[in-house]
Amino acid sequence: MVKKKENYNFSLYEYHNLMNQNILVSYKGPVDERIMTVIGENILLVTDEGDGKAKNKIFKVFMELAQNVWLYSAESCKLENGKSVGLGTLVVSECGDYYTFVTGNVVNNADVVPVIEKCETINSLDRESLREYRREQRRLANEGKPNSGNIGLIQVALTAESPLDIELTPVNDEESFLSIAVKISKDNFKNN
Amino acid sequence: MPAVDFDSITGKCVIKGESFLEETAKFYTPLVEWINRYLRTAKRIELILQLKYFNTSTSKWILTILGVLKEFERNGGEVKVEWYYYKDDTDMRDDIKDYILGSNLKIDMKPFVE
Repeated sequence: MVKKKENYNFSLYEYHNLMNQNILVSYKGPVDERIMTVIGENILLVTDEGDGKAKNKIFKVFMELAQNVWLYSAESCKLENGKSVGLGTLVVSECGDYYTFVTGNVVNNADVVPVIEKCETINSLDRESLREYRREQRRLANEGKPNSGNIGLIQVALTAESPLDIELTPVNDEESFLSIAVKISKDNFKNN
Repeated sequence: MPAVDFDSITGKCVIKGESFLEETAKFYTPLVEWINRYLRTAKRIELILQLKYFNTSTSKWILTILGVLKEFERNGGEVKVEWYYYKDDTDMRDDIKDYILGSNLKIDMKPFVE
């Protein structure tokens, strides 16, 4: 009989089962441009979407969400090149007619309200208004105005053509775990 | 990292590839400085963009560059901008249209097949 490992109390088997067959990619760890690119390109290999439009949407949504973790996670680590990058979790799944992208990371509670407000604004706008909002935010960012961030979230909603789902779980008095989920319907891959 | 080819003899400036650098300012500030320096004596400039993917901080820098070109045009300079995008990438197509609105520049939209 194979001896049970005693040097960690974590069942990789349970984790493996938890990551059911709908999950294409799951990653937890430091996120930087190199890691994002490798995972992003890997997703394109496993999604089996031959069409360029589908690939563009999947890659762009993944990259934008992963960048939020990279740049805004309150947990970070130093890589061997000395750069500090955000830590977080990235999960991409495929279920029926949808791809679902979920990313999560720890945030300072002080930063939570602007993100929630931004998501609520994004979800309340139709496509044309969302494009106008992106133009406006880009112009403000270009002028160096404060509070003009999160253009990436507008970009995600526009590319995925669906609302953003956000969930907050308190970690302690100062921090929460923020997860952002978005779906892409395969109907959006059709040309228009 | 995008590929950049700025030619001070022909006035042709090409930015192509993918752009999702962490320190976009470090990358794009010298490019904007180059353009500003070039335009001090130039009569015309041509900008060619072919970016398959660019992140949001890059998007801000594209607007900055287009703003510099618009100012040059207002002062009598000749500006030509061509923006290549994959023909089925309707998100990119819409985004370029929004850049036309945001910059008030004429941008030739050039769909291509991969």
